[in-house]
Amino acid sequence: MSDLGSRNGSPFNGAPSSAGASKVTSLRDLPPAIEPPRDLWPQIEQRLGPAVKPRAPWVPVLRARYLATAAALVAAVAVGVLIGRGLLPARPGGDLASTTSNTQMLPAAFVRDPRYLRERAQLLQSLNARLAALPPDSRQKVLASLATIHQSMREIQAALGREPGNALLQEMLVDTYQDEMRVLTTVQEASSPSGEI
Amino acid sequence: MISAAQSERIDWEAALVQRARNGDMRAFERLYREHIGRVYGLCLRLVREPSTAEDCAQEAFINAWRGLKSFQTRSAFGTWLHRIAVNVALARRRKPAWMSQPAASPEEQEELEEMEWSLDTPVEVSEIEAAVAELPDGARDVLVLSGIYGYSHSETAEMLGVAEGTCKAQLHRARALLRRKLNPESTP
Repeated sequence: MSDLGSRNGSPFNGAPSSAGASKVTSLRDLPPAIEPPRDLWPQIEQRLGPAVKPRAPWVPVLRARYLATAAALVAAVAVGVLIGRGLLPARPGGDLASTTSNTQMLPAAFVRDPRYLRERAQLLQSLNARLAALPPDSRQKVLASLATIHQSMREIQAALGREPGNALLQEMLVDTYQDEMRVLTTVQEASSPSGEI
Repeated sequence: MISAAQSERIDWEAALVQRARNGDMRAFERLYREHIGRVYGLCLRLVREPSTAEDCAQEAFINAWRGLKSFQTRSAFGTWLHRIAVNVALARRRKPAWMSQPAASPEEQEELEEMEWSLDTPVEVSEIEAAVAELPDGARDVLVLSGIYGYSHSETAEMLGVAEGTCKAQLHRARALLRRKLNPESTP
C-alpha cells in the first residue's frame, strides 16, 4: 500500500478542503493544489544558479508599443549619438531588484527620495531645451518613449490603487521610474555641448 | 469562460513568463510560488510518495526554466508546466504496461460521456485521496489528470503519451475501481 493509504499522517492531510467541506461527492471537489511540506525554491534556485545570468529588470511587459518605442529609442540613440559610453545612471535608491525581500519596498519610498526628486525635477525642467539640441528624429522618439513611459506609470498606479499590496506592480512601477530616469539622463548626455557623447 | 479576474491573472502571468524568458529569476520564482501547489499536488498523486513528489516537482520547474524559450506564450503556462511534471513523474516509473492496453469499448465510451462523474454519498477527502492512491498506475494517472485537474480526454492522452481510446478505457476502469472501493456495498 502506498503512503497515501493511511488516514493519519497522509500527505493529503494538509490539503485545503474545498469550500470548507471535508466530504465530497466528486473528484472535482478535491483541491488540485497541495502545498509541499517544505519550500522547494531554494534548492531549485541553487540548481539553476550557475547556469543563469539574471538581467537587470527592464521595461515591464505592459504594452507592446512601449517596447517597440523604447527599442526604437535605443536604436536611435545607439546609431545616432551615444557610442562607447556607459550612459545609464546609477539606479536611484540602490538596486531594488537585487533581492526578493526588496519587493516589499513600496515604490513611494523610491519616488520620495529627495535626491531622486531633485534630479528628476532638474532633468524635466531642462528637457525641452535639451530636446531642441537633438536631431528631429531622435527628438520624436524620445518624446514618444516618454509619453509611453508616463502612460505605463499611470496604468500601473491605477492597478496599484486596486491592488496596493501587489509586489509585482510595485516593482514594475519602480522599474518604470528608473526607465524614465534613464531616458532623461540619456537625453541630457546626448545634448551636452561638451561633445562628450 | 474566463472571468475578468482570471484574465487579469493570466495577463500578469504572461508578463512574468516574458520576464522569466529574459532571464529574470525573480519572475520565475513568482511563477513557482503561483504554481507549486498544483504541480506538487499532481506529482504527489502520480507518484504517491512525498519525497519523490518533491523531487519531481523540483525537476519539473528546472526543466521548465530550461525550456522557457520553447514555450508558446499563446498556450497556458500552467498546462505546459503540468505536461512537464507528468513527463518527469512518468519517467520515474518503469515503462508502464498499461500504455499498450486496448481502447475503451463502445459501452465504456458512452458511459464516459458523462463527464460529471460523482459518488452516491459524500466521502471524506482523505478517504477518496487514499482510494485514488490505491488505484493501479494507469488508471490513477488518467483519473488524476481528467478527474481532479479537469483535462479533456485528448489533453490527458497527449500528456500521458497514449491513445485517446486507451485513456478512456483506463478512466472507465478507474471509476469502476474507485466506486467499488468507496461504496463496496453497491457493487454487485
